[in-house]
Amino acid sequence: METARYAFEARSVSKFFPGVKALSEVSLKLSAGSIHALLGENGAGKSTLIKIVTGVYQPDQGSLFCSGQACRFSGPRDAMAAGIGVVHQERNLIPRFSIAENIFLERNGRHLFRMIDYKALAREARPWLERLGLDLDPALPVSRLTVAKMQMVEIARALALRSRVLLLDEPTASLTPHEAEALFAVLRKLRDEGVSMLFVSHKLEEVEQLCDTVTVLRDGNNVCDARSTESLGRQDFVHLMIGRTEQVVTRRDREQEDVPPFLELKSVSSALGHRDISLAVRPGEIVGLYGLVGAGRSELAKVIIGRYPVTAGEIRVDQAPVKIRSVAQAIHRHGIGYVSEDRKHEGLILDHSVLENAGITVWRRLANCLGLVGDRSIRALVEPHIRKLEVRTPSLHQKVGLLSGGNQQKISVAKWLSAGVKLLIIDEPTVGIDIKSKAYLHELIHELADKGTAVLLISSDMPEMISLADRIVVMNAYRVQGELANTGEYAKVSAGIMNLIHD
Amino acid sequence: MASFFLSNEFGLIVGICIFIAIFSWVDANFWSPFNLFVISRSAGVYALIGLSMMAVIATGGLSLAIGAIGVCAAMAFGWAIESAGLHWSASLAVALAVALALGYVNGWLVVRTGIHSFVITLATMSVFFGGMLFLSQGQSFRALPAEITEFGRLKVFSISALFLTAVAVALLLAAFYRFAALGREMLAAGACPEAAELSGVHSGRMFILCHVLSAGLAGIAALLVTARFGAAIPSMAGQLGQDWLMPGFLAPVLGGTLLSGGRVSVPGTVLGAILVTILANGLLRMSIGEFWVQAILGCLLLAAVLGDVMRKRYLAASGRA
Amino acid sequence: MGRTSAYFQADWFGPAVISVLAVLVIGLIDRAFISPAALDVLILAVALNGMIVLSQMVVIAIGQMNLSVGGIGGLAAISFAGLMQVQGLPPVAAAAIALLIGVAAGLFNGWLIATTGISAFVITLASLSLFKGINLGITSAQPFYEIPAVVKAFGSEALFDMLPFLSLPTIVIAFALMVLLTRMPLGRNILAVGANPGAVALTGVSLKWTVIAAHVISGFLAAAAGVMAVARLQIGLPTIGDDWLLLSFAAPVIGGAVLSGGHVSVGATLWGVAIVAIITQALVLFKIDPYLVQAVLGLLILWAVGINRWREVRARKGEGKL
Repeated sequence: METARYAFEARSVSKFFPGVKALSEVSLKLSAGSIHALLGENGAGKSTLIKIVTGVYQPDQGSLFCSGQACRFSGPRDAMAAGIGVVHQERNLIPRFSIAENIFLERNGRHLFRMIDYKALAREARPWLERLGLDLDPALPVSRLTVAKMQMVEIARALALRSRVLLLDEPTASLTPHEAEALFAVLRKLRDEGVSMLFVSHKLEEVEQLCDTVTVLRDGNNVCDARSTESLGRQDFVHLMIGRTEQVVTRRDREQEDVPPFLELKSVSSALGHRDISLAVRPGEIVGLYGLVGAGRSELAKVIIGRYPVTAGEIRVDQAPVKIRSVAQAIHRHGIGYVSEDRKHEGLILDHSVLENAGITVWRRLANCLGLVGDRSIRALVEPHIRKLEVRTPSLHQKVGLLSGGNQQKISVAKWLSAGVKLLIIDEPTVGIDIKSKAYLHELIHELADKGTAVLLISSDMPEMISLADRIVVMNAYRVQGELANTGEYAKVSAGIMNLIHD
Repeated sequence: MASFFLSNEFGLIVGICIFIAIFSWVDANFWSPFNLFVISRSAGVYALIGLSMMAVIATGGLSLAIGAIGVCAAMAFGWAIESAGLHWSASLAVALAVALALGYVNGWLVVRTGIHSFVITLATMSVFFGGMLFLSQGQSFRALPAEITEFGRLKVFSISALFLTAVAVALLLAAFYRFAALGREMLAAGACPEAAELSGVHSGRMFILCHVLSAGLAGIAALLVTARFGAAIPSMAGQLGQDWLMPGFLAPVLGGTLLSGGRVSVPGTVLGAILVTILANGLLRMSIGEFWVQAILGCLLLAAVLGDVMRKRYLAASGRA
Repeated sequence: MGRTSAYFQADWFGPAVISVLAVLVIGLIDRAFISPAALDVLILAVALNGMIVLSQMVVIAIGQMNLSVGGIGGLAAISFAGLMQVQGLPPVAAAAIALLIGVAAGLFNGWLIATTGISAFVITLASLSLFKGINLGITSAQPFYEIPAVVKAFGSEALFDMLPFLSLPTIVIAFALMVLLTRMPLGRNILAVGANPGAVALTGVSLKWTVIAAHVISGFLAAAAGVMAVARLQIGLPTIGDDWLLLSFAAPVIGGAVLSGGHVSVGATLWGVAIVAIITQALVLFKIDPYLVQAVLGLLILWAVGINRWREVRARKGEGKL
């Protein structure tokens, strides 16, 4: 059989969520004895594919094969039983248990009252640790280990479960470069022993250094499928992930007045790790903030609105230096708002009504001397925005959690419109949103800027960035890499951005 | 309108009607003016205890200390009248100030340490109650002015003034959650602290204020109990004030307050308290021992939370979530 | 890492040192505190309270709480006394039935929590009221006075005039729990579920049955404490269990238990019980207002959670990692 060449294969897999097609006919082929990279920006469908591979989701179309045999996973346990070991981003270890016990935690399900022989466990664990080149006492509690070592223990556990495929989800996210190097040495050794690995990361230099083949996803589609990385450079990865060969960008030319900036950052450093950030946004201007995932853009937004402290440098609003100590200050004193990318946890209160969500920013302003504010006055202010944004809701009292993603996003924009902010930071406005709402939101952002609002747009969607932004500031590793004017010529601008990212 | 028939409030009204029908059928004296007075008097106190717990549940937490805070307020009231010689109106202010301060301590500890409110209020319950016993030496204040005792006996068309007070407080509270910017912000912070914070609400401050509000309501409840007994008694809420826990949770849970925070129902809580009182009163009058009533109330709480789970599953299954 | 430093790091080390030092210091101030009679009272208090506290500790291990510990204990106590007085059952049979009632009560709690997903707090608050109501309904709040001499002797006499009989069940149970939680898969699962339920779900261990098991053990121990309380008090009081709640949380917390689960230690918890007992007795001895005991206990909890929290924060900063 031809497919038996692959330790694991997903063939033409599709997955639908209400209103959104998360994956459409995506394929993934993992060979034994090779390290395979899975790349894709936010919303490309990467995490959906991972969940299908690990058995959390079931594909709506397409099929999975393990060593050539068709298989179905009805849950994560099935995937594990089929030989797919996973090292998640969050640690799945019991901190106070020993390394050996964590490796063989699986066995605790069988004989509830048989005495555990810790010596024997340690003996059995040692070869697995040695295979990974770890010189650790298996009796040591996991809580005494560094994150890097904990990860190794999870790899050892996956191997001890006879996994033939090892999925590593952002394994280097919390490792130092030195630790990452040690991890790669181990992964290479495992590859030479015939293990098949799926390496999910957004750090391209790691992919270039480590991986043999690569699958890239974009908008829920395969851009490439198990392509050899031999001839590919970092630039090519960026190109595959975000570039489009033929992209029609509809971009309006917008008049730019030469007015002083509304918001100006001068060599700002933050408690979150930003260094020397300088940028400016003028009224009526859309400034794009581009960078790959993990570049520190959303974090910068939260620093600007006062959620996290600035440790050095200066923020100027309307040319006056300011210290923004809380989000309330940012909104009520300076007129700065933030549309979060994480609608479910940061943007909206899903359990509350449309009216409450859209009005939360104005309650304080509308309150009379007794601190009272009635539904009617909130409605008067909020309803025009809701109506103008064409939010589809049975009533203003509908729970926001019951609306579609596009309508939810409109509400999280509406609450800032009602607040009448002068600067709006918009973070990934169209991730997980249907095409029609997406076009509508783009139109809206344009309109906002035309009316004089300063807009700071964070997006990983290159066409979106090029069709909306006037200028594009490129970030990487919590620093600003550079800035370029957006001429609207797709090829030129995207090449410019890519050059800036990995300078 | 359809949503009203699915609401907890409607269910409670139906429940109350059913219980009233049953009890007036088996017991001719159920409608006697005296019994109405007794029921309304207890219902008023239970409603306030429930509202007090509800105000903290709004944060997604809970407070074991409402009973202890209430007793502290009542004892402060007695002390201010008897030992400090203040007028009863000034003493009311002292009592409420004590309650609010204790609530602030709870809220501050919960927010600042990040430890779950259960542990914090378990400890402060003991500290407040122990401190109160130490200061009062376990002695009651029984020489309260006649106005207080008279208020406890006051009735309007057989309805106790305590109940009317509770209704007035409930109306104010309902208006507060509905119309005050502060009340709305409390609920927003309780439902999703991070989203509220990013919309300009000081979530931590709101949590503290929720504890303060709860303590104030507990103080009022305790003052009503004081008026009823005509005395401030250290044991009026049981050991450590634990006797308030059951009514405290029953009323809001029956009334549809979300235990995970962010949604409260003032009318539901009041109706829940009325239902509980009528049920307890009716059972007692049917000479089912007072102790069995406690067991039945435990079952009622179980039934209420189980019913809520099943309703959610049913609504989720039928796609209305 | 040397052997001595391992002792310093053990959970029980701090509370043990504090207990011993406290006994010595208080004993130096007032010799009456370390008189055999006073020490006897201390051991008895630790024996009975230890059982109560272990019952709560098992549920804390899984990251939940059991407000109905006192309710179960009270119900078991009056069942034990009532079966002997009214039904004339021999003490052993009565005790066995009382313990079975505890197991059933724990099963009821655990099953409801595991299957409905409602928080343990609400379920056990309701069942507390239920158990207490049944207790009072059966007894009409009247005590059972006719306790057989054997039971009374068990509650008041000591083995070889040294070790009170009452401490034997606590010693046996503490040892059994220690073995369960350190060496048996069931106990390890309980701790693992408390620490990281998501990780446990991936290993194929049943979360549901682990939760139920913890509550069943808790119910059994609470019932045992109820039976012991009858022997100690020489009377079947319906109020047994009413004042257990605070203590049952205080001692594990003082012993360093993390209430979010996954971190308890039998030894440290029992030393926590000892600290509470020592402080209570010392306050009595120095004629300090007994009303203050309550407040001191509360402050002790606050202090202990503060320390635990500080330790957690320090551990997260990653000092001394390998």
